Amino acid sequence: MHNIEHRSGLLIVYLLAAGILCYGQQSTFTISGFIKDSLNGETLLGANVYVLNKPGQGASANDFGFYSLTLPAGEYKIVYSYLGFQEHVENINLTSNRKINIQLNGGVLLDELVVEENKSLDQVTSTNLGRIDLATESIKKLPALLGEVDVLKALQLLPGVSSADEGGAGFYVRGGGADQNLLLLDGAPVYNSGHLLGFFSIFNSDAIKNTTLIKGGMPAYYGGRLSSVVDIQMKEGNDKHLAAEGGIGLIASRLTLQGPIQGEKSSFILSGRRTYVLDLAQPFIAKSDFAGTNYYFYDINAKINHQFSDKDRIYLSGYFGRDILSYNSSERGFKLNMPYGNNTATFRWNHIINDKLFMNTTAVYNGYDFKLKGEQDLFSFQLNNGVRDYQLKLDLDYYPSPGHFIRFGANAIHHRFTPNILQGRSGEVSFTNDYKPKYGIESAIYFQDEIKLSSRWTVNLGARWARFDQIGPFEFENKSYKKWQKVKTFSGVEPRLFTTFLINPKTSIKLGFNQNQQFIHLVTNSASTLPTDVWVPSSLMVRPQRGYQWSLGWYKSLREGGWNVSVEGFYKDMRNQIDYRETYTSNQSVEIEEAFVFGKGQAYGTELFIQKSKGNLTGWFGYTFTRSWRWFKDIEQGRRFPASFDKPHDLELVSNFKASKKWELGGTFVYGTGKPFTPLRSVYFINQELVTRYGPRNSARYQDYHRMDLAATYTARPGSKKIFTSSWTFSVYNVYNRKNPFFINYDLDSDLVTGKAEGTAYKVSLFPMIPSITWNFKWK
Amino acid sequence: MNTPIQYIDRGRTLQKTWFLGWLTLLLALSACEVEFTPKDINLDPEYVVEGYLELGEQALPAYVILTQSKPFFSTLPIDELENLFVHNAEITVSEGAQKINLTELCLNDLPPQVKQLAADRLGLNLDSLKINFCVYIDLNGILKAKEGKTYQLDIKHGGQSLHAQTTIPEYVPLDSLWWRDAPGTPVDTLLQLMTKIKDPPGTKNFYRYSCSINGSAFMTPFSSVNDDVLIDGKDFEFRLIKPNFPGEDFDQSNFGLFHTGDSVTIKWSSIDEAHFNFWNTLEFNKGNQGPFSSYTTIDSNIEGGLGIWGSYNSRIYKLKVEK
Repeated sequence: MHNIEHRSGLLIVYLLAAGILCYGQQSTFTISGFIKDSLNGETLLGANVYVLNKPGQGASANDFGFYSLTLPAGEYKIVYSYLGFQEHVENINLTSNRKINIQLNGGVLLDELVVEENKSLDQVTSTNLGRIDLATESIKKLPALLGEVDVLKALQLLPGVSSADEGGAGFYVRGGGADQNLLLLDGAPVYNSGHLLGFFSIFNSDAIKNTTLIKGGMPAYYGGRLSSVVDIQMKEGNDKHLAAEGGIGLIASRLTLQGPIQGEKSSFILSGRRTYVLDLAQPFIAKSDFAGTNYYFYDINAKINHQFSDKDRIYLSGYFGRDILSYNSSERGFKLNMPYGNNTATFRWNHIINDKLFMNTTAVYNGYDFKLKGEQDLFSFQLNNGVRDYQLKLDLDYYPSPGHFIRFGANAIHHRFTPNILQGRSGEVSFTNDYKPKYGIESAIYFQDEIKLSSRWTVNLGARWARFDQIGPFEFENKSYKKWQKVKTFSGVEPRLFTTFLINPKTSIKLGFNQNQQFIHLVTNSASTLPTDVWVPSSLMVRPQRGYQWSLGWYKSLREGGWNVSVEGFYKDMRNQIDYRETYTSNQSVEIEEAFVFGKGQAYGTELFIQKSKGNLTGWFGYTFTRSWRWFKDIEQGRRFPASFDKPHDLELVSNFKASKKWELGGTFVYGTGKPFTPLRSVYFINQELVTRYGPRNSARYQDYHRMDLAATYTARPGSKKIFTSSWTFSVYNVYNRKNPFFINYDLDSDLVTGKAEGTAYKVSLFPMIPSITWNFKWK
Repeated sequence: MNTPIQYIDRGRTLQKTWFLGWLTLLLALSACEVEFTPKDINLDPEYVVEGYLELGEQALPAYVILTQSKPFFSTLPIDELENLFVHNAEITVSEGAQKINLTELCLNDLPPQVKQLAADRLGLNLDSLKINFCVYIDLNGILKAKEGKTYQLDIKHGGQSLHAQTTIPEYVPLDSLWWRDAPGTPVDTLLQLMTKIKDPPGTKNFYRYSCSINGSAFMTPFSSVNDDVLIDGKDFEFRLIKPNFPGEDFDQSNFGLFHTGDSVTIKWSSIDEAHFNFWNTLEFNKGNQGPFSSYTTIDSNIEGGLGIWGSYNSRIYKLKVEK
């Protein structure tokens, strides 16, 4: 506690100093306000505001579309811009603080395939290292598996991000594990991001406004995970008129409704998606022995917001999604039921304290739960695990002067982790493994200041002081802890330091260092993450993960033709990595922490990114070289082995071509080194049958993976002013039908007594060429 | 056996089967399995010990099958199969001051009558025996296993030494056995075998189940061992699953159910923890392939090799399948 007081004291002194310094200068005034889309009222996060011909004198709109720019008194032409929108110039005579709210018009550039690396002008000049913003409209143009457009799959097409598996929604950033990515939906962390074993993500792109990926320099504003942040912001809802859009696809259908509640003061959006393949087959299934067997998933995104005054605005958003599997075999009376999913609710209150100080308060509820139930005759069982969070956050954006952009704040999360609790009944007797949930409080205070030292040199200095307290109720080795009683505390300071140097207005070099701690962990025992995987907190049995990352980047913007090039390199050191011991079987009645082994990891690599964002042909090319290694003293005596997702070479080519007014073509090509796997080392006889011995760990590789997907979108009446418009998207996944291996199967047929010993090894591939059709519509 | 662990395991297996069923549906869209030859890892072969010491009814004398591991092959001809047996090893079993040597016996070297006797005791069908099966065995049955005692196994061969130990645990019997109608839709010809055990509280107990049908060799189901973590101290009722015969396909309509009219011999054994870990990891390894699996290392208590030196404390229960 002594430490927090000490640090808070320092923080207050710094802020006062920054304020006094500004006050001491010649009189300056502030223009501030919100920047929105004129069509639907959506705020434009990251939009730019700057003095004409002086981009160095500018600011960006924050996550809520709020900007604040302090300038000396005088006359100015202020430019407001956002990629894909017409620029707006405002002539002002600055003699007092002004509130200027702007609505930008979408231009003809709206349909471009765009990945905005740090938003146009800022890509070269900002201190954001390894940050990519993805506008949802551009994701929709990409060809997709079974027609299901997907935010997480689109992220996998960027350099530095690789996918787990064929079709999987899990992703790995710069050699870090799947649990090292902080996935946020309107500020709420998401614990399980996949439907149907991860083939589809839980994010319905119709409800999403913006997706930001930070894979390099993680600013102090974010914390709790080692490798990346994927910050997904939902749309607020059209505040001008009612609108609907949706689509019908092979796997699932979607519908989104949005509109104003009180013209331009409040609006709502409601978005839903559901699969129906097996629902349609129900009449046939009901007549068979498998009556009651079904699988479906759904998600619902809902949000309302209301602007009370110029200074206050509140938002309430929620996500509810579920996968439900039920299997029923009437002949032998066997029933299996597996429902799982996430529910999140976020409440946010924006308050403008003054022209230079913006405050956001957030309250989050977050729940993920997994259940597996089975019964047959006298026997029944239930397995469930999950995570439940309550979070409170306070964030302030402070713009004291043109040379400083300060962010500071605090947050606390109360976690409840439920391990695989088993309960069952056999006849009269009930049994349980009697596991109890674990509780913890994860908290942090942070501070960062982006300082313009000169017209060429900007630094972002920040630190995050993060802490995790495991609290009771808890029992360990005959010691009992009461509710809220502290069991174990972990804490540390995480420096976050970045700098950008402009070689010339179109070229820059950036350097960064960040240190991160991660207090919660998802240890997966299989090649892909499964809903049965369990999140565990740090505790008496598990120390936090720690990561250190150095990054260096070179950026060039060739504004003619809208070309952007960047080369980034990184080195990452990861401590307290977790895996399972080699003889672990998931059917043992031990708490999984007892099966953990600990070690370290290392990753390094470079990423090349070339992007074209203007013209009829747009897209990008990405090439990543990464190595990711692990060492565990309890696995093969500490031999170094590549991580299961180690992918030395990863190449993507993504393109979009406006062939005509009615036709738009899209294509992607990916190439990656084959995944490592643990080969069959030998076979031997036990009980007259052959058994397998695997090893050494991850010492073999599948063949290289490559695939091409194409899509064509046909809009019958483009540019139509009609209320109802529709389009058809035809896509083909894996155009040249490459049999990319998905897993290996060994078939051993043996009987020592009869002298039979035969083995066959198969490479099994999953998705052949798959065409699909989706019909999309918009009503406004 | 159908205790809680096996149900979770079965639930998971069924869940994986369901996932795989979904995948199979997708795979059925095209022929997506391609045979290939795995590369030879080129590591030295390892010694494999399969040794058992039994106390109880129909107990065999202590014996060890000593073989070697082999890199993956598509077909192994009989002479190469016979070469897997390791000959001329020095194998001893000791407990306290008592120490006995195990004698190597190869069936083809025995006179016919003795050969038949040995085959019967080892549960081998001479008609189908195509290879020269070799074991190291306590030929004269000198070693008498006793509950609670720990037995050391030492093997010397080719300049290498292997060592293991096992303890004969306290025996926990089946309290009762009875037949019950098949679950779901009853069928005249199929019945479930139910049993009850009274698990001793406070001690770690491990169990193994096998059964013989109409005089066959003893067989085990996909999951044959269990611990007592969930049932410690309880009087627990559960179902004993009928194992599939070697080569028998999985059929959901009669899986695990006994056929009326058959004669069934149940062997119910108490085993120690290392022995439990061995079978548990082996059975998990066998059932664990596919995209959602991880490679599982089979737990072994042999220092210097693979396999198991395991003891059993067993009883036999004979019944006829009838309502």
